[in-house]
Parts: sequence; structure tokens; C-alpha cells
Amino acid sequence: MKKVVIHLMTIVLLLGCAYITSPIQIGAFSAQEIARGAKGDDVIELQARLQYIGYYTGSIDGNFGYGTYWALRNFQDQYGLPVDGIAGAKTKKKLSEVSKYDEKFVKDNLNKGNKFSHYGGKPLANQVSKGAGKKENTQLPSKYSEQDIQLMANAVYGEARGEPYEGQVAVAAVILNRVEHPDFPNTVSGVIFQPLAFTAVADGQIWLTPNERAKEAVLDAINGWDPSENAIYYFNPITATSKWIWSRPQIKKIGLHIFCS
Amino acid sequence: MKKVIFVLSYALVALAIFSYGKVKENESLSIALSGQYANHMADASEKLSALDTAVKKTLLFNEAEGSSKAREDIWRLSADIQSSVASLPIDPSFSTSWMNYLSRLGNYAKENDNITNHQEYHKVMSQASNNLSAMAEEWEVATNGMVGGRLTMDEWRRKLDAEHSGHDWKKMGTTVKQYTESDFPLTASESDSMKKKDLRDMKDEKVTKEQAIERFKQLFPNVSNEVVGVEMSKPGSPYPFYHIRFAENQSVSYIDITEKGGHVLSYLSERPFGKEVLPFEEIKQKTETFLKNAGYKDVVYEEARENDTSWHLVYVRIEPEYKAKVFSDVIHLKVAKDNGQIVGLDASEYIRKEKTAPQPMVQIDWNTFFHSGVHIAENELAYVENDRLEQRLAHYLTVTMDENGKVGTYAVIVDTETKEVIKTEKLK
Repeated sequence: MKKVVIHLMTIVLLLGCAYITSPIQIGAFSAQEIARGAKGDDVIELQARLQYIGYYTGSIDGNFGYGTYWALRNFQDQYGLPVDGIAGAKTKKKLSEVSKYDEKFVKDNLNKGNKFSHYGGKPLANQVSKGAGKKENTQLPSKYSEQDIQLMANAVYGEARGEPYEGQVAVAAVILNRVEHPDFPNTVSGVIFQPLAFTAVADGQIWLTPNERAKEAVLDAINGWDPSENAIYYFNPITATSKWIWSRPQIKKIGLHIFCS
Repeated sequence: MKKVIFVLSYALVALAIFSYGKVKENESLSIALSGQYANHMADASEKLSALDTAVKKTLLFNEAEGSSKAREDIWRLSADIQSSVASLPIDPSFSTSWMNYLSRLGNYAKENDNITNHQEYHKVMSQASNNLSAMAEEWEVATNGMVGGRLTMDEWRRKLDAEHSGHDWKKMGTTVKQYTESDFPLTASESDSMKKKDLRDMKDEKVTKEQAIERFKQLFPNVSNEVVGVEMSKPGSPYPFYHIRFAENQSVSYIDITEKGGHVLSYLSERPFGKEVLPFEEIKQKTETFLKNAGYKDVVYEEARENDTSWHLVYVRIEPEYKAKVFSDVIHLKVAKDNGQIVGLDASEYIRKEKTAPQPMVQIDWNTFFHSGVHIAENELAYVENDRLEQRLAHYLTVTMDENGKVGTYAVIVDTETKEVIKTEKLK
């Protein structure tokens, strides 16, 4: 009998320990800490809840930027929590207690690309208007826009979709190197649409729908990668018609493209 | 049989009508495009003449104040012409040299507020004015056919591609390049900056191919089992490097390592990602352990951005004198969300560390410096490159301001000695 009791107590103790050490799920939030730079469903919920109680006035887009950061700090300050701008377990718990989150309303509107808000105290149905369509949800360095990413992804896919991943990042990096270079236009669109600059613009392949790989390559380039090693030109030696391009100092070959300065 | 002939005849007629329509449509598109290009060319010609006048106007005065409006015009017009040139189908060697010249001319005029040597300004701009007049004439001749409507788009393209196009664009490009070298030679800071970018002046010992592979295996032991190939950079590269490609299971990756010193320029791995997501703190910890083991010990965390499969993290060097961040000496890392593996590293900007000099720090009253609604959230010291490509010690301020009920956040970088605002950037 004693043995059975000891066994039972051990099991209860183990289960208790497992419960205590397991991550605590607060409301619908995941167990992850969320800080500036994060993105995704947790950030959507954080923004919606902060907006519900009037702390957050920006768009609910799932990107944890400065707007969300200051709103969260104000909330933490008001509720006597450590003010660090990080949504940890305590902050999420308090936020779940004092706010509401209509996940279906928020997600539906995000998917439809509507303009909407999630303030408490007034009907949600009155807080929606038609928007420009579903937007990508990407964390970008301040100087780039979603439009830049889209255009670059189109250019990379049109120019280098058959190339290795490294080659695709290198093509995106060449576009960015040109933007910074005094010999070229100083915007992404100016560089891409400069006449005679890219074959994909001339033959219309720039308007093909880019795949995820091309988008990922663009993200790596705008986040600092340059496999071209500072190139401002590249060409395919099999198809290149310009004699001038052969006069450029060559840096490296990736796939079918030679990258030059 | 009659029916077949009947159907075929109708089909032929329909095809002929369709083809005629298409030809007409292409013709009108071509005319519209020629019109656009002719407009840009004429616009560039007019502005070129206005630019020359603005340059001449600045030569009338001894004091910078007298010519400030004309200098502003030079900067604006050179940017406008650059924009026109950028949208034209012209010889690339000419357009790049021309854009460079215009950009340097505009910057020189803009920066003249800080230049006290007016004799030097007069000398440079007199020469620039002569060159601009010569260039304006050349430009008029070169674009004559298009602006006068005598050439269609196709004819213009053929003329550009032709061996003997009737106009020597390449010579024009070379001439502009010479103008740039004589009128606006590289300053010491620009030259230093280029050298840093090129890494060509590294004095480190050369490493062999085997040593480069060893360095790679030491840094990334989990992915470096199978080296697919090692190539040396091409002779035109300003700094020689080993380009190592490798594969491991489903990963395909590359790493570039400098020949001098065996420094990592960049590394990137492509692999499928799992659905699991590690907490950011764990990812950051793994990254910092990697940096320490790889010998990058003088860097601190700056920022991170989450994306679908990975985190992009940024670390910057801390200099010892003021413990200021040096934003030009940066390391980028890409870390997989599923297991915290380093799948990307770019340390090309970290290899040759910026030379930072001690600099006085004057008292700045931020209450009078900023408008009353601006709140300083953070103030840290950083070395930042200014317009003249000099590394300056600066206050790196994160400030907020109410913008119609929303909080706007800005990075404002202020020189500690001159109080010059080096940069203002809106933060997302």
C-alpha cells in the first residue's frame, strides 16, 4: 500500500514539476517573448489588444516597429510593469486581462487588405473601410519600402530565376549598389527602369510573378549581403550583345553571370 | 472543298485585319515612346543651358551668400538632368560618366557653404563652366535626330548599337570622365572611403586555398563537409578572394574569403527550413556565442528583423575611446528560426576598421535645438560618416514627435563638435 502511495506521490510531483517548468501560454499569445523587429501572429494580437485599450493608434500589420514599441512601453508604465518595450509573460498576462481580441475580425480584415482598427467601446463593424488589398508582412530596414521589395523581386525573378540562390542575391545586390553609386539613379525604381539597363525590363519578363526564392534573395540583399562583391554590372557571356560590357573589370562568376565593377 | 476555301479565305482576311491592327498599335506605341524620349532629351538640353548659366552666376560673387540661390539652382538642375539622362536610352558608358559628373558638380555647389576658399571655388567652377558649354554643344549634336523627330525608336536603337553610329558616344563618355577627373578629383576622404570599400590596401599575409577552406571549416563545422569547388576571384576584382561553394545534405552555400588575411567577406546558405520556432533570446544567444568564437569580440547588438524563415541581426563595432558605436564597421548575420543555425554572415564592412580620431564635444542645449514637441528617447555616441565621407563622433539620438495622434520616431545624428545634423532618418 505504502509503495503505491509513494508511486502516486512521485507521479504527481513529476507532473507538477513538468507543469511549472513548461512555458505558460497566456490567452492566445504564444509563449515567446516579443520585441522590436519581430513579426507575425503574436505581434498582430499585441497590436490589436493595445489598440483595444487605446494605447496603439497605428495600423495592425503584424510588424513590431517603433509605433508598437512606444505603445507597449506606455502600457507597461501605466500598469506598473517593468518598462522595457518587450512583451514577456507578465506583460502579456496583464494585457490579456485588461483587453479583448477579436481574432477572426482582425485576421479576416488583414486577409482582405481592408483598412481597419480594433478600438474597444465602439462597434468593430464601424471600424472597417475598403483598403488597397492584402499587403506583405515584412520587416525591412527603414530606407526600403514594400514597393522596393516587390520591384526588386520582379527584377531578380525576370533576370535570374534559373540561377543559383547566390546569383539571385547578387543580382539584387547589384541593383542596390547602383542606387548608392553616383553614376546611376538614386532610387530602386529609377535603377530598374533605366533604359537599356536590364534585359527583363526590355523583354517584359519583369512582369512575371516572382517566387518566394526571389523574394528571399531580395531580403538577404537589403539586409546587407552582397555576393557580387560590390559589382555594379553583370552579364551573361553567352547572350551578351554589348561589346562595352566586356571592357568592365570582372570580379566573379556566379552561375551563368559574370559580375563586374 | 468550296467550304474549306471559304473558311480559309475568311480566316486569312481576319488574320490580315488583326496583323494590320497590331502593326498600327506598335507604330503608335513607338511614336508615343519616341515623343517621351524626345521630350526628355529636349528637357535635358534646356536644363543643361540653365545649369551653365547658374554656374556662371555663382562666379559673379566673392561671398558665398551672394551666390547661394544660384548654387542651390546648380544642385537642383544637376539632379534634374541626372534624372532625365537616367530615363533615356543612350550609350551606357556615356550615361554613367555623365551622371557621375553631374552628381559631383551638384555636390560641389551644395557643399560650398562649408568651403572658405573662394578662389578655389572660382577656379573649379570656371573650368566646369567651360566644360559644360562644350558638353551642351556635343549633347545637342548627339540627340539631334531624336529631338528633331527624324528617327524612330528602332532607328535610334540601331544607331546606338551600330559600329559607326554617326556619333561617337564613347568619345563623349571619355571626355566627360576627363572633365570629372580635372574639375572634381577625388578628395582624400573619398579616396580613403573607396579604398576601404575595395579592401585593396590590406597588408595582411596571404593565405592559401587550403588555409581558406580550413578557416571556413573552423567557422561552420556543421555545413563544411563537402566542398564543391574553390575558385579564385577574377583578375578585375580590386581585392582577390577565394570563392568556395559547398553542399551538405539539402544545403547549398557559398563563402567568400579574402586572400590577404583569410577574412570572411560573406557567407550564405540556402536550405529548407523547419516549422519550429526558437525564442528570439535563444537565437541571439547562439549568435553571440558564434561571434565570440569567430573572433568578432568588439561588436555589440544593434538591431534585428524577423522574417518568415530566419532572423537578420546587425552587430556594430564599439571603439575603445568613447565606447561609441562605429556604424561603418558592421556585421550582418542571418540565423535560422528553426534551430538557431547561422545561415548567413556578411563581415565585408568590418574587415578594415574605420580610423576614428578623438573629437571635442561641445555642450548642446537640446531644448533649444529641437522644437518643443520633440522628445529625446535615447542619446548615445556613435561614429558616423558625414557628406564629406569623414568619420565624425556624433550624438545618435532617437527622438519622438506627435504626428496627428501617432508617435513618429526619428534617428537624428548630430556632430558633437560642429552641431551639424549629419543625418535624419524616419524609423519604422
